[in-house]
Amino acid sequence: MPRSANAVDFWRGFALVEIFVNHIPGNVWEALTHKTLSQSDSAELFVFLAGWSLKHVVGPPEDPRPTARLILRLFLRAGKLYAAHMVIVMAAIALLAIGSRVLDNPLMLEWFNASAVFTAPVEAHIGLVLLTYQLGYFDILPLYVVLLFASPFIALLHRHRPALLLPISAAIWFAALVGEITFATWPTEGEWFFDPLCWQFDFVLGFLFARSTGPGGLVRRHLAAIRWVALPIVLFAGWARWAGWEIDPTAAPEPHLLFVNDKSFLTPTRIGHFLLLAALASALWEPLARHLPVAARALSLLGRNSLLVFCIGSLLSLAAQILRFAMRGGMVFDTLVVVCGLGILFAAAAVADWWERPE
Amino acid sequence: MNALRRLASIGLVAAALAASAPAVAQPAVAPVPSECATPGGDGAAAITFPHLGRAVTTRQKIVVLAIGSSVVGKTGMGGDYYQLVERFLESTFRGLDVVLVQRGISGELARDGADRIRLEAARSSPDVVFWQVGTADAMAGIDPAETREIVRSTIRWLHDHQIDVVLIGLHYTPRLSGDPEYQAMRAAIAEVARSEGVLRIRRYEVGETLDRLRRPPNEAATSVDLGDIGNTCMAEHLARALATGLFARRRPGDLDKPPPSAR
Repeated sequence: MPRSANAVDFWRGFALVEIFVNHIPGNVWEALTHKTLSQSDSAELFVFLAGWSLKHVVGPPEDPRPTARLILRLFLRAGKLYAAHMVIVMAAIALLAIGSRVLDNPLMLEWFNASAVFTAPVEAHIGLVLLTYQLGYFDILPLYVVLLFASPFIALLHRHRPALLLPISAAIWFAALVGEITFATWPTEGEWFFDPLCWQFDFVLGFLFARSTGPGGLVRRHLAAIRWVALPIVLFAGWARWAGWEIDPTAAPEPHLLFVNDKSFLTPTRIGHFLLLAALASALWEPLARHLPVAARALSLLGRNSLLVFCIGSLLSLAAQILRFAMRGGMVFDTLVVVCGLGILFAAAAVADWWERPE
Repeated sequence: MNALRRLASIGLVAAALAASAPAVAQPAVAPVPSECATPGGDGAAAITFPHLGRAVTTRQKIVVLAIGSSVVGKTGMGGDYYQLVERFLESTFRGLDVVLVQRGISGELARDGADRIRLEAARSSPDVVFWQVGTADAMAGIDPAETREIVRSTIRWLHDHQIDVVLIGLHYTPRLSGDPEYQAMRAAIAEVARSEGVLRIRRYEVGETLDRLRRPPNEAATSVDLGDIGNTCMAEHLARALATGLFARRRPGDLDKPPPSAR
């Protein structure tokens, strides 16, 4: 039986909608996503909530899941995600190849970093399997896969040495920032768009803040005060983003990454802003559920079927980009694409929900 | 037949690379292979690279930041043209250490690339940025005027931070030769390069000429052969333009003197 609407599914659904819209760059609705007025975006929210969900797999402190089952469950979950990533990447390559042939335009392949599949197939396929080769806009699931494969260690460390998890996670994040340590891509030259060494911090924070003890308990006890502190900072950050005001990275003290806004390395500006924004936004769930119950239920529907919705959404946004290019659409076309895409996502989630219901 | 043509062309480039005389004072810039004979750089003869030149003079080391589409490294014969540029420069200027920092992300729009250039300038302290820009914006339907202003402000920011810049223009594909939006983006990039006085590698024109010279009438436009040869020619033009700008056309001036800290 599908679970009822709740804040976590609602915000996960919200993130999925934004990711879908933002993955059609240049469309007019992109400007209405919260990144326009924010130093962080839906990626932080998505990964944070992935960590939050880990709490449910680990089980409550009074009735924890047996260790062997926990480890197996988490590895199976990571494997499922890995398989899902492989399927959508292969589908994306086929989609791009079809687009390239139908439109007689080989740039389709280069546009999404897919050309290596055809020009260096041996290396590209090895890279795809190893996750070192990532198509454009298909780079968040590799991060998620790595985080899920790391999740048994995170869960076990927390179970046996709960006080160590946060400092160890923060130390890895800090070291990666200071040393600019990240994962290299191959066979294409470059770096992972999402540095797992940094983004694990967001995941771990989600896991810890989901709990009513430890850092999560501390935040809950002082949430009202945190929101008062967060409000002016988030407003200022929104203004700075709107006005295009930012620190010149070359003028920032060393190590630069500690003082600038960078998504790949999840710099302190981004994660700090996200946490403050989350503290404020968490106050919205109850009034939304009370006054806009349809919206609350709809986004929760997407959120509780997040993997399916994410996978379909990734392919739909790719198809939308190809269509936008082919049709050279304006506002009407963009609106049609976004509405139809979201309609398909809601329909897919509803079917998945229906499938889960007892006969 | 295609393979033979490709091998012949690669051979020409290899011969050109091998033939370049390694001397700092009077570098002999290798001739462009006949298949790459289309002028590859916009106003290349008039453009100098003062910051790059100073790095060569004082440090014998240059740091090149490549932003734009990802390229495959060390696999395809002509896939990684930046490495061809690196090899060309190192063989042309004896003792020069060329450090290539590749941060290409395919599909990245100019606005995102501009943000990342600023960050990468802090991370890598490059002397020159090779910015492959325009194609993704054109494909995504971004307003050319918006892209032009982003590119312009980024070029100025780079110059303010004593970093030279080379724009690498849009890709060529026959299908888009009549596409007004694609051509508008191409014109916008050309205009900003001209008005800001930076080198633009005419990737589109090179590809167009190669296509006309090489592609049999019935061959599909998706042939990777054209892309490989185009990349090789791009590397050739880029390296030659840099060499020319650094030594053949550079007038002596203040920038030839080492900075105060190095004296």
